[in-house]
Order: sequence, then structure tokens, then C-alpha cells
Amino acid sequence: MLSYSSSTNSLWAMAWHQLKKDRAGIAGLVIVMLFLFISTGVWLGLWGNGWSDTSAQFNAHPSTSHWFGTNAIGQDIAARGIYATKVAFEVGLLVTLASLLLGLIAGTLSGFKANSKTDSLILWVMGVLDSIPFYLFVAAVAYALKQHLFAMHLAMIAVFWTSIARVIRSEVIRIKNMEYVEAGEAIGLSHFKIVLNHIIPNTTHLLLVQGTLIFVSAIKTEVILSFLGLGIKEGISWGLMIAESTQDIQAGHFANFITASGLLFLLVMGFNLLSDALQDALDPKSIGKS
Amino acid sequence: MLSKLLWPVLFLGMLAGCQQQDNSLGETTSSIIDGRKIYRHSEDGKPTSLDPIKASTVYSNMMAVNIFDTLYAYKYLQRPYELKPNLAADFPQVSDDGLVYTIQLKPGNSFTDHPAFKDGIGRNVTASDFVYSILRSFDPLNGGTGAWLWQGKIVGIDEWKTNGANYDQPPSGLLAVDDLTIRITLTQPYPQLVYTLAMGFSGITPREVVETLGQEFGSRPIGSGPFVLDSFDADVAYLSKNPGYRQETLDIYAEGYLPERHAGLGLESLHGKTPPFIDQLEVHFIKENASRWNSFTKGNEIQYTTVPKDKQNTVLVSADPITLHPLIEDNYHSSYGMEAGFVYHGFNMLDPVFGQTGDPQHDARSKALRCAIRKAHNWDQKNRAFYFGLGSVFPGIIPPSVPEFNAELSMESVSLDIPGALDLLAEHNWNDQNLPDFEYHVTGSVLQKQFFEQMRGFLNKINYPTNKIKYQPYPSFGNFNKAVKNRQAPFFFMAWTLDYPDAENTLQLFYGPNQTPGSNNFNYQNPEFDQLYEASSVMLPSPERTALYQQMNQMVIDDCVVISGLSRKKINLWHKNVITYPDREIVGGYHLKYVDVK
Repeated sequence: MLSYSSSTNSLWAMAWHQLKKDRAGIAGLVIVMLFLFISTGVWLGLWGNGWSDTSAQFNAHPSTSHWFGTNAIGQDIAARGIYATKVAFEVGLLVTLASLLLGLIAGTLSGFKANSKTDSLILWVMGVLDSIPFYLFVAAVAYALKQHLFAMHLAMIAVFWTSIARVIRSEVIRIKNMEYVEAGEAIGLSHFKIVLNHIIPNTTHLLLVQGTLIFVSAIKTEVILSFLGLGIKEGISWGLMIAESTQDIQAGHFANFITASGLLFLLVMGFNLLSDALQDALDPKSIGKS
Repeated sequence: MLSKLLWPVLFLGMLAGCQQQDNSLGETTSSIIDGRKIYRHSEDGKPTSLDPIKASTVYSNMMAVNIFDTLYAYKYLQRPYELKPNLAADFPQVSDDGLVYTIQLKPGNSFTDHPAFKDGIGRNVTASDFVYSILRSFDPLNGGTGAWLWQGKIVGIDEWKTNGANYDQPPSGLLAVDDLTIRITLTQPYPQLVYTLAMGFSGITPREVVETLGQEFGSRPIGSGPFVLDSFDADVAYLSKNPGYRQETLDIYAEGYLPERHAGLGLESLHGKTPPFIDQLEVHFIKENASRWNSFTKGNEIQYTTVPKDKQNTVLVSADPITLHPLIEDNYHSSYGMEAGFVYHGFNMLDPVFGQTGDPQHDARSKALRCAIRKAHNWDQKNRAFYFGLGSVFPGIIPPSVPEFNAELSMESVSLDIPGALDLLAEHNWNDQNLPDFEYHVTGSVLQKQFFEQMRGFLNKINYPTNKIKYQPYPSFGNFNKAVKNRQAPFFFMAWTLDYPDAENTLQLFYGPNQTPGSNNFNYQNPEFDQLYEASSVMLPSPERTALYQQMNQMVIDDCVVISGLSRKKINLWHKNVITYPDREIVGGYHLKYVDVK
């Protein structure tokens, strides 16, 4: 155990060392942290509170009182864009954590019981879910559960967990054949303890990378579903702002569209950069090269 | 990497500065091809059926009155709207008690050819065809949507339906006396009867063709109207001039021509000629605003459009008075008129919170709450945000498009009064702690969400907590309407389009016996109102009847049943090579037979 712990620390330390050298990765990290900061501020009620206030200034140009102008019913676009950051993080976090948990459990079970009936059943379920076109499936689930507060979240979780489970399954199959696992079995440790203490901790780097990818996908999907009217019902999201802007653009007002898509672009770009960098940093081969 | 990011960001920034409007217009091309005059009309929705008994939408009605004949029609240019005989030779002879209507048909009108007729040649239209056509709406097998116009009003017609709907034994109240004479006997005076005979629902159909085609009649209709349908699908309907249509010259002065209103449109050139003037009519159903606008401005496609909301700031220089952009003025003819209807917010009066329960204390508090919400509603902002300031806000439920409209009525019920609302809430012990959840039921769409958000903004002004104002969208109008009819919507946003220019058509929305699933979506129950409605419904237009209408209007205002209303204004544009004066409101599609092109 001591040697395992020490090697883990070493892995994370080397990964951090590697990440620091990746300028794009650091830029991504800064962007994500900036958005997290904004989101936390909204959550604490420090800014973005006036997102629903209406006024008589319709489609106003950017000014000191309205940084990005106002929309068709006089709402402050900047406040809405900022508030929507919180919504994006809420959706991203919830969907990511739930998908990771589900994917981790299914993937671990499937991998540890590889070639058993349990494994076949889990693989069959994942195969069925993956065979349905992604957006069609998500839209169908979201539509079917439309009255449910978390319909959109459930729809995304139902889809996203399978990719995590596949990655975890292969990693678990690899790990369970390693000598230290065999040693654990030899000294009489239960399967549950082996999985919990010796296998799952060794998949955390994969979960981290998968988490960043799912996070971005969840935000993008939320925007698409909200645009289609299947997403956020209460509050505001970038998807709803873009949906609103389809009318504004025809009338020559671009602020809603540019604000929402610009913020989305920045956050997705930040996460992609960070995700790429994490993948490189946590890849044992690249660590070995450095 | 960061430098690579810089350019897209700068590009987006440059886009933000792009406020230039696209006013580029295509060159209008001739509409006469190989000597055939072709007019390409457009509508922002499509008809679901061309069968007149299903003409419940403006799109279906417009098609029905051009393919089928009706006994009466509206004068082409006269405003306020005025009826004129169409297939009928004259206005009906009405008995002294107002119960028996005798109508003569013009002789020599025939249906267009179809194999179901003897030798395939269209036969003459007779009084029996009219009787058959009205009865079709009552046949349970047909799924007609217009029976409400005559239900319980024509002697024996309801029994005819329950007794098996035998067309060979028409009810005693609806008879063909001879080939050209119709006699209608009413259960009680029904002054609006003649209006109903100008609606698409009363379009005259030939029995043998209907029975031959069955359900297909809705897509392959045969009538005796000014046009014959050649083909029809979800995108476009092609119609040809009916060569056998009766030869009646157009008298523009009798139709209501006024130089100050109609000069410069070329209508004078139609005087004395025999419609229809065009050889082919195309009706393009284009719901998407951008597509319709692009097709219109292209020059060689559709020749008429209403101006979509998102193009109003392209077309208009000012809203009051309405001034069009010079480029639009130079290239197109235009007209603008108020819709024959209005938009409103309504309360369900059977709702246990917002409605009436019979408990005086509760009813007083709920009325105060409804009235406070109405006082918080800012019609001016709604008008400017969603209707480009073109709408006409009026108090109550009698809109400006009907003759009974009272321009002198107090505007208090449509005036913003935040202090008054706050006082009212305080007086009745309403505060942010005990205010009930406010559910806003509506068909789900981006636009409707904005309506909701604006309403939420209004309510916030009277300290209604944001978390108590809830958006309840429905996937389609059908679902939303079902919820309203099932009394599941305490508050809803709707529009009403008048079927005929008589305020009775809106007052019946508040008549107790019409409660849901009938037309009274508010489930408003007021015995005094019902008594006045019943008294007025048998009266001919008169100052006395108008006075009763005004009393009913005031009751609805006083009880805060509805937040009403606003009549929208539509801007019509058409190419300068087209001679027309379009109006799809009460007039329906009757104007299309008077269209000419050059």
C-alpha cells in the first residue's frame, strides 16, 4: 500500500509538472476558473441578480448601464449571460457527477466480471443506448419527461454514462490482472475491498479526463436542448438566449446572440484546452517521455 | 494559441457592430406569362382541409370562399364591414317575428365539371345544395367544426342529427322550397344569421361529388366559386379561373371605393369589368417569416405578404403615424388595418385561488388580486415590445373593429397603476408571503416565453416574488387549449378573432352556459350578465342593443375577469404590378377574385 500511495503521489505530481509546461492547458484552466468564479458569484448572489428585470429600453445598444445592451423586452443581456453561467455549471456539474458515478459503477462491475452474464447484460444495455442517434435520443427522453424538473439532466445522464463505463471497463480489466490485485486476493481480501481500495483509485485519472469531456458535452447539449425548447424552463441559459436571438437577428439585433454564443465559445474552448492538456499530463507514456 | 483565439473574438466583436439592415429588393418581373395572368399570393399558415365544413382557420376559410359559393359576402372595400348578396339574389325576407328567413338564389349558377355529375358536366346550384351543405356540419360522420353557428337555432336541426342524419329528410327549419328558394325557420330571433351565411362554413357543395370522393373531398373540392382547384399540398395551392362563374361586373363605388383611401392602387381600372380577372391563382403557404419575406422581396416569386414582426423595423420609419421606409414605398403598394380581434390575458373564474368560490371573503380577496395584477400590466410596454407600438389598446372586450365599440369608455382598466395595485393588495391583506403561485399557461415557444418574462417583470413591480411566478408551457396549441378547456389553467394568454363584425361574437365568450368545454374559457358566471346577453341576442342592431352590450362589457371590466385588450395592426405589402386591396380579416378571402395583374 505504501508503495502504491507513493507512486500515486508521484503520478499526480508529475502530471501537474507536465500540465504547468502546457501553456494552452494553463490558458484553459484560467478560463475555466474564471467562469467558475463568475458562477460562484452568481450562486452567492453577488452579481447577475437582475437577469429577469424588464425595462422600457428595448434592444438598447451597449452602454455603461447595460454592457451588452438589452433584449427585445428590455432585459439586461450582460446580466442574463452572467446568470446563465451558473446554469451552465449547474447542469455540467450535475450531469458530469451523475454520469461519472453511473459509468464508474457499471464499468467497474462489467470489467471486474468480464465475460460473465452481468458483463454481457451491461454491454448489451450500453450497445442499445449507443445505437440510438445521440440528439434524437436526448430530445426524445427530454420530451417524454417534459413535466419533470430534471428531464433534461436525466436525458443527458442516460446517454453520457456509457462512454465512461466503456473506458473504465477496459481499465478495470487491465488492472485486475495486475500482480497487486492477485496478491490482495491471495491474502483473502474481499472483492468489494479490492475494487474499492485498489482498482477504483487507479481509474481516477481517467475519470478526471472523462469528466472534463462530459462537462463540455453537457453544457453544449443543454444549449441545444434549450434552443429546441426542451431544456431549461425556469431561469435563463445560453441556449434560450440564442433561441431568443433568432428573432432579434432578423431585426438586426445581434447582442443576444453574440453574448450567449461568445460565452459558450469561451467556456467550451477553455474546457477543451484543459481536457487536452489533462489527457497529455495524465498519460503514463507522455509522463515517461518527460 | 492565445493569438489564434484573438481573431475569432475580434471577428465576433466586428459582427456586433453590424446593424446594417438588408433592404435590398429584387426587380419585380411581369406576372403575365404567355398571355395568362398569374397572381402569387402568400399566407403565413396552411389550411388543414379545403372542405368548407372544416373552415375554422383563416387559411381554410380563405380557400373555401374562393372555391365555393356562399349566399352572402362582404363588400370589397367598405369599412366598417358590410354584407352584400353573393349567390343570393338579395338580402333575406324576414318575417315580422324575426323567425323565418326566405332567401332567393340567383339563377344559372353551376358547379364546375366533375365525373360524378351526369356526363361529367357541372349542374346548376340549387336551394337543395345549400340545405345539404349546412346539414353536413351536423352529420356526426363528417367531423365538421362549424355546427356551433346554427346549433339550437334552426328548428329541428339538432333532432335531425340525433335521428340519424338522413339528408333525404331535412329538418323543418331548413327547407328548399323550390330550386331557387330557401326557407330557414329559427327557434328564436338570430340577428347574426346572415353573417354566418358569409362564412366559409356555409360554402355550397354538390352532394354527388361529396359522396363520390368521401374524405378526399377535403383535398379535391368541387364548388361553384370564382376559382377551380388544380392541385394542393402543404406548400402551395394552384387554382384556375372558373370559366363558368357568373358574369357580374364590378362596381367599385358600390363596393365602398373612397378616393382618399384607395386612390393610387389602380382599382379604378377594374370598374365595370367582370371578375375574376386573373387566369391562375397560386396561394403559397409559408409559415417561416424569413422565407416569406425573402420570397416576396425577390421580385419574381410571391407578390403579397404581411410584414412579419422581425421585419417591422426594416419596413417602418415610424409607427405613429405609420410611415414606411422610402425604399418600400417606391417598390410596393401597402395597406394597414386593425385586426378584427384582440389579444388578452384571462383568469379561470372557477380556479379555487384566483376565481370565485361563493365565499364572500374569499371572492373579495381574489377579485382584489386579479384587479391588482391587471393594474400592474403595462400595455404600453407590451405594445412596443411585441407589436412595434402598432397595436390599439382598448378597455374591455368590445374591440375597435366592431360598430358597438365605445371610444369614450374609461381607459382605467388598461392603464398602469402600480401604487393602486399595491394599495389593493395591502387592503386585502396580500403580501409576498401569502401571495399564491401564479402559473402562466401558454403554448411553449421562444416568443411566448418572452411574453411570460415580461409578465413576470410586471408582477415583480407589485412585489410578486419571482419564485412564485411559474411558466407552464405546452408542446402545442392543442395541448394548451385542452388544458384551458379542462380548467387546468388559472391564467392564460390568448387571442380571439371575430367571426363576424358584431360584438355578440366576443360577449358570448363570457356567457355562463358557454362555460368550458364551450367557448367561455373564463368560466365566468354572472346571472345578470347572462340575462342581458339573452335579451340582446335576439335584438337587431340598435342603440338599445348597443347599450346592453356596453353594460355587459362594463361587468366584465368591473369583475377583473380579463386583462384586455389589444388589437394588432397588420401591414400588407404587394407588388406594384398587382391591383388589389387585401384584407384577410372579416372579409376572409373574398378579395382574391378582384385581384388583377399587369
